[in-house]
Amino acid sequence: MNQILLAVVGTIFLAIFAIAFGLILSGIDRRIVARMQARVGPPLLQPFTDVQKLLAKQSIIPANAIPCLFNTMPIVALASAITILLYLPFGSFAPVLGEFGDVILILYLLTIPSLALIIGGFASGSPYATIGAQREMVSMIAYELPLTIAVIAIVWRLMIAGIHEPFSILTLMQNPVWSVVGPLGIIALFILLVMMAWVLPGELSKIPFDSPEAETELAGGILVEYSGRNLGLFMLSQAVKMVAISTFGIILLLPWNLSQFFGISGIIAWITDTIIFALKVLFVMTVSVTIIRTTMARFRITQIVGLYWLVLGGLGAIAMILMMVDAFFCEMI
Amino acid sequence: MIGTLATGFGFWNPLMWIIVIVVAIFFSWLLWKLGETNYEGNIWQTAPYLSGNDEPEKEAIHIRAGNMYWGFTKALSVYYDHLIPLHSGIVSDYISWFLIGVVVLFMVVILV
Repeated sequence: MNQILLAVVGTIFLAIFAIAFGLILSGIDRRIVARMQARVGPPLLQPFTDVQKLLAKQSIIPANAIPCLFNTMPIVALASAITILLYLPFGSFAPVLGEFGDVILILYLLTIPSLALIIGGFASGSPYATIGAQREMVSMIAYELPLTIAVIAIVWRLMIAGIHEPFSILTLMQNPVWSVVGPLGIIALFILLVMMAWVLPGELSKIPFDSPEAETELAGGILVEYSGRNLGLFMLSQAVKMVAISTFGIILLLPWNLSQFFGISGIIAWITDTIIFALKVLFVMTVSVTIIRTTMARFRITQIVGLYWLVLGGLGAIAMILMMVDAFFCEMI
Repeated sequence: MIGTLATGFGFWNPLMWIIVIVVAIFFSWLLWKLGETNYEGNIWQTAPYLSGNDEPEKEAIHIRAGNMYWGFTKALSVYYDHLIPLHSGIVSDYISWFLIGVVVLFMVVILV
């Protein structure tokens, strides 16, 4: 009963935290992009004002739309993005539902907000939205391959190193994979780091992977018919997903906390680790979203598939082979 | 806790996820309800956005299921160009490919 109560309270608390943190991240992202383009940029809290304004505007339902799906999908997208947070640790705080789901579950949960967006796009009854939804579907299939390779390679290496329950998020949190690999494994992990850095903007449909929205050719594509509170909720789900996917990447490849190094404990450790966690999320977002979207142009959908399946898929295969060779030599020693 | 499914490698508890998703949907619905509800249906605003152009016939703009994965099939066209001709529609061809596949699989399993 206590666990259920904890899950209910944790859901509401994490939802508020992730929405606030995600919107602030979005504000920082827009600010940095503006500065890189020699503009002043919007205020840091502009995303909050945007959502507030969207909630105050009419939500038009197109004549061709399927209203029940059209209205439900923004709610499903936000709710499913919130549930991912329950399985992820933040700083030195263990996941609320760490004992009730593993990394494979998180991989599945990460697809639900995108699926909700796709269903909402198809339910819009607009040619632009339909093309956008079709592109989002293809894009999702494309980035799932390198993401899954990265997860499996890391978990497999931990398993070979004799670590109990390698699929558990708690295990990944307590046993950084960098500490169990040899020199070849380090090279493999750097390759996986690069792969994850390219998966992140794809998951968030940010430039150069924003072909589902593509303002200049599809006028907003998958979201073209969305307005008012429905669009506001999709914005919030993107903000929450940004926190979730960044945290997932950090747990896989950058899981260290400062309290472990300095032997700090108690409330000071919580505060220190939370600040470091926030800085790590900011770093990940700046490197793989902000800088990439400022310096690159949009990929065509065929280029997105080519990059994820052929280039990053090939790199992933090399990383896995390096991992296997590394594990073989480590076992020999 | 009741309902945790463990495969020996991974694990998850669907009951806990259902509780959490219900709470999250309720929270999201509350936010959605906070939004503006004053909306007049059946006005010109409900026409699909097409950059000011008239809406074509539905059949003319419908994306068929075969084109759903266009970006995917186009990007991997080298692979699909070789694969599609193999689908001759003749059952004996399919059985031959199946047998070849099984032989290759067995060789891999035995050798590795």
